[in-house]
Amino acid sequence: MKAVILAAGEGTRLKPFTESMPKVMLPVANKPVLLHVINALSENNIRDIVIIVGYKRESIMDYFGNGKEFGVSITYVIQEKQIGTGHALMQAKNEIEEEFIVLPGDNMIDGKSISLLVKNKCETAMLVEKSELPSKYGVVEVKGGIVKNIIEKPEKAETNLIFTGMCKFPPHIFDIIGRNIKEGNNKITDSLQLMVEEGENICAVKGKGKWMDIVYPWSWLDVNSKSLKNVAAVTSGKIEKNVILRGAISIGENSVIHSGCYIVGPVVIGRGCEIGPNACIFSSTSIGDNVVIYPFTEIRHSIIMDGTTIGSHSFVSKSIVGRGTTISPHFSNIVGNNITEIEDKFYVVKDMGAFIGDGCEIGDNVVIEAGKIVGTNCRVAPLSIINKNLPSGSKVV
Amino acid sequence: MCGITGYIGYRNASEVLVDCLKRLEYRGYDSVGIGIIGENLSIFKDVGEIKRVEGKLPRMDGHVGIGHTRWATHGGVSRKNAHPHLSCDKKIAIVHNGIIENFNELKEELEKRNHKFYSETDSEVIAHLIEEEYKGKLEDAVASAIKKIRGSYAIVVISQDEPDKIVAAKKESPLIIGVGDNENFIASDIPAFLKYTNRAIHLNDGEICILKDNNVKVLDEKGKEAIKEERAVDWSIEDAEKSGYQHFMLKEIHEQPSAIYNALMGRISEIEPRINLEDLESNMDEITIVACGTSFYAGMAGKYIIEKLAGTPVFIELASEYRYFGRKSGTVIAITQSGETADVIGAVKEAKKYGCHTIAITNVAGSSITRIADIPIYTRCGPEIGVAATKTFTAQIAVLFLIALKLGMKNLCISNGDLQKYVSSLRRLPSYLEEVLGRENEIMDVAGKLKDCESVFFIGRGINYPLALEGALKLKEISYIHAEGFAAGELKHGPFALLDENTPVVAIVTKDDVHTKILSNIGEIKARNAPVVAIADEGDEEIDKYADFVIRFPSLPEFVSSIPIAVILQLLAYHVANFRGCPIDKPRNLAKSVTVE
Repeated sequence: MKAVILAAGEGTRLKPFTESMPKVMLPVANKPVLLHVINALSENNIRDIVIIVGYKRESIMDYFGNGKEFGVSITYVIQEKQIGTGHALMQAKNEIEEEFIVLPGDNMIDGKSISLLVKNKCETAMLVEKSELPSKYGVVEVKGGIVKNIIEKPEKAETNLIFTGMCKFPPHIFDIIGRNIKEGNNKITDSLQLMVEEGENICAVKGKGKWMDIVYPWSWLDVNSKSLKNVAAVTSGKIEKNVILRGAISIGENSVIHSGCYIVGPVVIGRGCEIGPNACIFSSTSIGDNVVIYPFTEIRHSIIMDGTTIGSHSFVSKSIVGRGTTISPHFSNIVGNNITEIEDKFYVVKDMGAFIGDGCEIGDNVVIEAGKIVGTNCRVAPLSIINKNLPSGSKVV
Repeated sequence: MCGITGYIGYRNASEVLVDCLKRLEYRGYDSVGIGIIGENLSIFKDVGEIKRVEGKLPRMDGHVGIGHTRWATHGGVSRKNAHPHLSCDKKIAIVHNGIIENFNELKEELEKRNHKFYSETDSEVIAHLIEEEYKGKLEDAVASAIKKIRGSYAIVVISQDEPDKIVAAKKESPLIIGVGDNENFIASDIPAFLKYTNRAIHLNDGEICILKDNNVKVLDEKGKEAIKEERAVDWSIEDAEKSGYQHFMLKEIHEQPSAIYNALMGRISEIEPRINLEDLESNMDEITIVACGTSFYAGMAGKYIIEKLAGTPVFIELASEYRYFGRKSGTVIAITQSGETADVIGAVKEAKKYGCHTIAITNVAGSSITRIADIPIYTRCGPEIGVAATKTFTAQIAVLFLIALKLGMKNLCISNGDLQKYVSSLRRLPSYLEEVLGRENEIMDVAGKLKDCESVFFIGRGINYPLALEGALKLKEISYIHAEGFAAGELKHGPFALLDENTPVVAIVTKDDVHTKILSNIGEIKARNAPVVAIADEGDEEIDKYADFVIRFPSLPEFVSSIPIAVILQLLAYHVANFRGCPIDKPRNLAKSVTVE
């Protein structure tokens, strides 16, 4: 069986982190979400994979290549303009000859749920899950295992059962999607809704509750923390004397943990990092490749991406630091409740730190207020206090 | 320089050979041929790329064969000059890569003894020589034949009378055995057989090997069996595929963040600043860098870095010149991507004769240069298939940078603080390169402006001068637009005469001590109405007043910016060539590793 993964979308609600990579490439426990999806597929021996790419597709192609390194075989199909999931799937028409599954590349999924969907007897079946934010998705009404209705992003959701975007389809689905696109309905849910209306049976398969979507930067921290629970302790690299490691900690090759560091898992640390001496890293933290953490710094419950440097005597908690950002000594972020703005909408965030984009340079003794978002490539002068969101490319003097 | 291969085993040999040749095409692609022993020895050869020739290939049954993809040296591109070449009795077939220097004498002698020659190649003499020496054992005939040959060669031979073996010999041209189960391979380069096996044996000069389907025997120069070690190759076949990109070159440009990461990995420490590089020699008070082509420009960049950071005098020499004319003293650093470049190997051998300490910077573990030079330092880029070097150029600069820093510390020329500054910015290069690659669309827009030009100039000062030379080389080799690089101050001394409104100038502008100088150079160019494309620091606000188009790179310490700038120049050349519809991965008349002089 082939799988088609939709990976063309941008993920605008996750800006600034999606300015340099598509949402599917955001790291969860140091691996792109898309790799978690591919691993769940190969657990089910689904190794023939078509990936629909579009926005920033190079970052996907550079990472996955032809898939060999990950035990799968990947074909790329390009969707130039991201106008809908149905339209995206349609691009893969020539690659599909028999029954197949389609799934979003930007949602975490487990192998077991995929297996339930694949084994379901209906010709067309969809995976449904419970969500705390049903109004962001297609809300599904199910009776006796059969889909009765799908309402796309309702203002008030009747149930919390939502369509995960994962489906099993017969090859002739392309005729239905094709017809819908001609009428200007470009989403997969449009086609599914039409099938329900025309009286076709679509089975609803309930997943195992492992499905997770990253909607906002703060939900990313949550997804990361949940995924870190499965981390296996593997330590390569060089760990100097008098380092305390407790819990499940994975340390990549060529990383150096200097003397006096105190690390409590679950924590993942990538390749080629330098940490300490005397730095503390606490649970639910992932640190990418090539990261430098200077002495006397404390990091908790955070995502520190590749190529980042954090200066000495700093405090980073419940925060995300983007790729290649440099933070000078004596930085701290405040953790608390606040109101923050993304794409002209306001959100209340609770118990959160700061969200700092890629390529920023943050000077000495900077403090960032709880929940604030710093865009990519910002320059913040020493001794600044950041208490509002900074658009990408800002200079704070 | 050509690609050669051989197969013996249980599969259909012609299918395997075609597959192997496709992966050797970067070594040459003007004509292709294979020879198979089935019931008899049969040969098929034709002019053109393998993809085109493959369609015409007749069914050839047999489990033993040899193949060749050609890049013409002696004799024009024609079917009769394509390999394999046959003996007069048509029982022995050979493929050859290299140059037979004494082929005219040999040919005359052979002709006197009634041998008929069908081609204009130097290679054909080998087939006839083997025929002359043949007394029932192919390996003995090959051993006697190569004693008469002067020059460089890798040859693979089959004979209809001994259909259970392939015999091969090597001198100064690469040849590697791939060891399989009940099958064996031989080829000029590892990717040829990587799909089938990752167990490789490198042959040394003067060795002869005999491949059977279930065993491999290597004889040394004296005819004694040599003990050879198998080496597991950790490149995967996927490393040599385009994975979604239109061209290998673009894929390889995009691989630079990880290539640079790999080149630096484990070699730098930031918190306690240190360079953990292979032990160089203790007293390096004079360095000569020897290289060809793109590697030469990397070496030239290295000269600027080493002289400034370590205070050690550096001479930079073209390998083809140095080999015969250079002054051989001090430490010699040889740079070659493939490790097989004939001129560089020749130069290092010469230098060693004079007692020089030799260091080789190369990308290929186990390549010839690593067995000749005293210290090999690897760029760790993975295979580079595009003929135009990209990721290996930037990785070579990175490695030279490390040498400069290590020397600088030893010579007490740079402080611990400076070392930390350089290490920390080198470490962050992968992120900066991602940033540059993210601006590909802007670079593509500028490329659109250059695509119809007849001539483009590149200028820079300091380390940007070798970058200007490399930018021009990239552009001319893949887009066929005439391009020249100049030291910015030199324009006035002649090239100025060529400037007009149709000759764009690409100026590399860093915010260093000579910033005002290059700005005034640009002013002079603008006064001649030539359009100016500036590649400039993102913090450079003045440049907008001078240039028509500006491509930005991230602000970085002196010299470190050379790597992102190189990436911009590569993307610029790539997109110009792509707009013009050029065969980017296989530019006309060029081949990847130049294993002939």
